[in-house]
Amino acid sequence: MSTAVNEYPKAAALPEDVRGSVRDLVLVLADSKRVLGMRYGQWILGAPELEAGIACASMAQDEWGHARLLYALLRDFGEDVDAIEHDRSAGEYFSMDALDGEPASWPELVAVNALVDGALSVQLGALTGSAFLPLRQRVQKLIDEEAFHAAHGVAWFQRIARSGDEGREAMEQAAARILPLALRWFGPDAGRGRGLQEASLTDAGGSAMRNRFIERVSPLLRLTGIDTGAVDLEPDFSDFDEASRRSGGAPDERTIAQIRGDRNRAFLMD
Amino acid sequence: MIYEVFARKTRGEPLRHIGNLNAPDDDLARVYAFSTYDEEKWFDMFVAPRDRFLEVFNRLDAEPVDRAAALAEAEAERKAAVTP
Repeated sequence: MSTAVNEYPKAAALPEDVRGSVRDLVLVLADSKRVLGMRYGQWILGAPELEAGIACASMAQDEWGHARLLYALLRDFGEDVDAIEHDRSAGEYFSMDALDGEPASWPELVAVNALVDGALSVQLGALTGSAFLPLRQRVQKLIDEEAFHAAHGVAWFQRIARSGDEGREAMEQAAARILPLALRWFGPDAGRGRGLQEASLTDAGGSAMRNRFIERVSPLLRLTGIDTGAVDLEPDFSDFDEASRRSGGAPDERTIAQIRGDRNRAFLMD
Repeated sequence: MIYEVFARKTRGEPLRHIGNLNAPDDDLARVYAFSTYDEEKWFDMFVAPRDRFLEVFNRLDAEPVDRAAALAEAEAERKAAVTP
């Protein structure tokens, strides 16, 4: 470890060997937030009470705002941000694989809220001291705005898990589906993760973030009966792509078509 | 359970009643108050269950026989208040 910490005011100043990793990390965060916003948006009208629907609308707005802010950072890397936002197919998305399908039930949406939103916050937390200044200057605002998402996720997770056997089982199933995907999403310690850490662009590798994440969500998982001491913290990375942080698959095409705004194209004006 | 929501724009001003919401418990009441009423820049915000509001008095109930008169008086006061 070097003692003098370099700071990078713009993408061009980043060491060449990690510039691509930072660019991909920003895209992973932006795409995940964009798709997460869609998942909240898809439950605005189906939530069990009016106020929960309003909360979904509010969280969707936050996520889309955060995605916007993160996509804008990519301009500095020489990217065509409009094309990234509006021209890609589902297979090109770097969003978290736990978000690939529309949550089929309210407990599934709540699990996404508590676990996926939580994993994103842990990743953002590892960037609050990043040497890449454009990112560092933005993450704290994002983390602050996430506080109420976490409160919503926790309150609903507890409410359902404590509502009786049926609720507890529904919550356990939904959480058990997402948990391994979220844990793997933090990535391996070697490779890109190590490069980012050595350049002081992040303060935690995959394992450290997995530990922070488990610590954060354990009180909830225990309510469902999931044994958090037995959770596998060494995911299988054999088919894991470090750039997209995915292992194949893609978000559903219908949702991506909505994000691109395919049906609004006719009204676009230059 | 119905919760009443209060907020103010600056530390010095009195709390203002800004609306209400339905929530099953205090935790979700806080979350819902934030997501429903955070459109404006509030200095602080509070929620309280409606059934914890204790009535001290109510002029309409004070003298049931004069109910019509009291209503007329309240209406006259309202009109006076909105007329510059």
